[in-house]
Amino acid sequence: MQLTINDQTYQVSDSPDRLLLWVLRDELGLTGTKFGCGIGLCGSCTVHLDGNPTRSCVTMLSSVQDKELLTIEGLAQVNADGEKVFHPVQQAFLELQVPQCSWCMSGQMMTAVALLEQNPNPSPEDIRQGMNGIYCRCGTYTRIRKAVARAVELQEQS
Amino acid sequence: MAGDQNETNQSQKRKRLSRRDFLIVLGVGAAGLYAGVRLGTPYLRLRLVDWLEASGGPPSNIDAAPDAWFEILPDNIVNLYLPKSEMGQGVHTGLAQIAAEELEISLDQMQVFHAPTSRLVDPVATSASNTISGLYIPLSEVAATLRELLRAEAARQLNAEPAELNLDNGVFRLKSDAAQQRTYGQLFPFLEEWELPDSPPPLKNKSQYHSIGIPHPRVDLPAKIAGEAVYGFDARLPGMAYGAVARPETVQGKLIGADAGQAAGQPGVLEVVAGEDFAGVVAESREQAYQALAKMDLEWEPGQLWQQEEIETMVTVGEGKGVIIQREGDVEKALENGMFVEAEYRTPLAYHAYMEPMAALAEVTPDGVNIWASTQAANRIRGAVADAIQRDEEEITVHPVYLGGGFGRKVDEIAAVEAARLSAAAGRPVQVAMNRPEDFRSGFVRPPTHNILRGSLDDQGNILAIEHHASSGEVAFPFLPSIMGTVLGADFGSYRGAIIYYAAASKQTTAWLAELPVSTGWWRGLGLLPNIFAIESFIDELASIAKLDPLEFRLRHLPDDESGQRVRAALQTAAESANWGAPLPDGHAHGLAMSYDYGTIMVEIAEVSIENDQVRVHNVTAVADPGLVINPDGVEAQAQGAITMGISAALLEEVVLKDGVLQAANFNQYPLLRNADAPDVDVIVLSSRDTPTGVGEPPIGPIPAAVANAVFAATGQRLRRLPLKLG
Repeated sequence: MQLTINDQTYQVSDSPDRLLLWVLRDELGLTGTKFGCGIGLCGSCTVHLDGNPTRSCVTMLSSVQDKELLTIEGLAQVNADGEKVFHPVQQAFLELQVPQCSWCMSGQMMTAVALLEQNPNPSPEDIRQGMNGIYCRCGTYTRIRKAVARAVELQEQS
Repeated sequence: MAGDQNETNQSQKRKRLSRRDFLIVLGVGAAGLYAGVRLGTPYLRLRLVDWLEASGGPPSNIDAAPDAWFEILPDNIVNLYLPKSEMGQGVHTGLAQIAAEELEISLDQMQVFHAPTSRLVDPVATSASNTISGLYIPLSEVAATLRELLRAEAARQLNAEPAELNLDNGVFRLKSDAAQQRTYGQLFPFLEEWELPDSPPPLKNKSQYHSIGIPHPRVDLPAKIAGEAVYGFDARLPGMAYGAVARPETVQGKLIGADAGQAAGQPGVLEVVAGEDFAGVVAESREQAYQALAKMDLEWEPGQLWQQEEIETMVTVGEGKGVIIQREGDVEKALENGMFVEAEYRTPLAYHAYMEPMAALAEVTPDGVNIWASTQAANRIRGAVADAIQRDEEEITVHPVYLGGGFGRKVDEIAAVEAARLSAAAGRPVQVAMNRPEDFRSGFVRPPTHNILRGSLDDQGNILAIEHHASSGEVAFPFLPSIMGTVLGADFGSYRGAIIYYAAASKQTTAWLAELPVSTGWWRGLGLLPNIFAIESFIDELASIAKLDPLEFRLRHLPDDESGQRVRAALQTAAESANWGAPLPDGHAHGLAMSYDYGTIMVEIAEVSIENDQVRVHNVTAVADPGLVINPDGVEAQAQGAITMGISAALLEEVVLKDGVLQAANFNQYPLLRNADAPDVDVIVLSSRDTPTGVGEPPIGPIPAAVANAVFAATGQRLRRLPLKLG
């Protein structure tokens, strides 16, 4: 079967009951999406499915056919000079030096991107609630909130 | 083997500079020229080397491999190979800053790598907050020595005196003619001809620093933010397969019978291992491996079905073995005077709960063994894998990769050993990457603790005596040769933080140790969290009984020495920053706690209120003084993170043992603190010494007591057990 991931077409083995996370990581080598709990609870495995943040560890392959998938690897854009340019959310996470171990960070950033697409001007409380679903054991929550607010500024500037 | 012979010949050419307890070495290794430094606890090793050389025997290779290794490329890029693991604590950046300082280069000119064990073997683990503090002097001195050797070589090549050269970003130029220049990269290939000086050059003065003490972005973050960084769970090799391993449900469970059953015929299965003490499946995909594992016929001996109450009884002051670790004055007598106060505290079994479960990829071939693992202790993996598959340690190369958190647990070699056994059986590279329940239940956990404190106060509110009994399951002992336990008596991991810091004429601390049926061990800060929770709660109780402000009470009982002055400054800075004593919103209150841990001072003030019968922490103000600060932003990040993790531990985390099974299998049964419940943590970094002390663990110590003390201030309820639950 065919999947569209980060604007590219991939052929994967026809196994509709496989979980998306393992297809991404083990079959396609897109290891930027992480495993954390396997029950859709910690959020490390968050990807976008037609723009909606989705827990890939509990998502069957059958439910992603004909949908646009976006993973952390596809978040940056390539500019006219062929250089990779981070998404404003990535820029903000880098600027504020958010990640520590960074295992949860693709889930954090994918969630933040979706949050800002749905709500371009979130209040501090919107950010708290919007980012509440993703665990960070290193305890970077203070910086995550600052970075999401900073990403709003960066998006407005661009 | 030919390679070994080559290595031995080359090692005879190596030059060494011995200083205090480490060695600077210049040499030629398998991968090229290097300047390195040999670390660790090598007094014995040095004596052995001296003896071997004096006796005319072959130079022992034990001094041959350095522990941190510089090589300089022709384009003037400095490669720094480090034996310390980057698990989010930012040590690769901090160490690079230290090296760049004496090398007079910018961090842009430096690349930092995890060293595989074929290059460097760290005799200890990345642990105990000692990476920066332990490497600061050796790394500085080898960098300074290398710089001066390069300078001498440049002077020779330019027919000048060293003093006639300017040095800027790794380029020497004649002061009289800047066009006459040599780069580090041009000079480095002459390293073989150099003579090491008798002692390293003096290190730079603080006022000259261009790198140390300046916030620097982490060197590992661009790849992590791009999703490109490789962790143990992400390691990939062509032709690799996936392993699933049978694990007991109970803490003392043992495999007593294994048969392949229906597993061999399952889709994708490559190999089924049904050994005496080990069973597992190798398959083309992860899911196939786990599905087939469920089809094996396995017989378990569950062992005794332990209950929580039994564990708590074992971890009780007076049970097991007690060793006095602090004694000043006559506590027993002093406690008879003044007002007597006594309280006891408990903390539970807890998980490390890092986000990346244990994972390793092993490639076992007749020619050698390669392991890629998220590990805090590559050296332990090497030894354990050698034992498990009967190979020589020299045949095994461990490639440490990024860790998705460690917090002490990733000194465990279990996943690497399992992957190696399965790879040896299947003849393919095999990854073992645990599911969350496997990770939670198949390793060691934080031990439960029980602390009793007794004190007496005079009628002015001064402490006359404090007696502390700290009981814990083992922390360090399970990882040491058993003889060490006998020699040491008390487990230094368990009693970390248990020594009473405050000034009192009579003080006594006894460490009690319980060997438990559930494996316990290192957890961020070791004994710091339980012991500081108990001590700092008790100090708050004493202050309350003395009718003194908790800040004033602490200031009154500081030792009259350098540490006391530093702690005083930290307490006052925190109080000022948090507006200690100023009115707060209705229902809110501040709580204060501090720790002095191997030279690092932490003061933490939490503002809490009670919402829907739950403790809510609104914000935390922290002051960190870890001596010389290498990367202020890194110190802030570590303090924010450890404090947030400590709040999670204080409010939520607990594992209960029932019928021999650790009850929490996943995060639904072991919730962590979430973003919306996490306070903003403001950190002020002080730097009051000329050398650095640890930062990764100390900030986790005071926060549970700071929160509990704030709960007392808000409600009058004194909570003496973690996780904190209102009555």
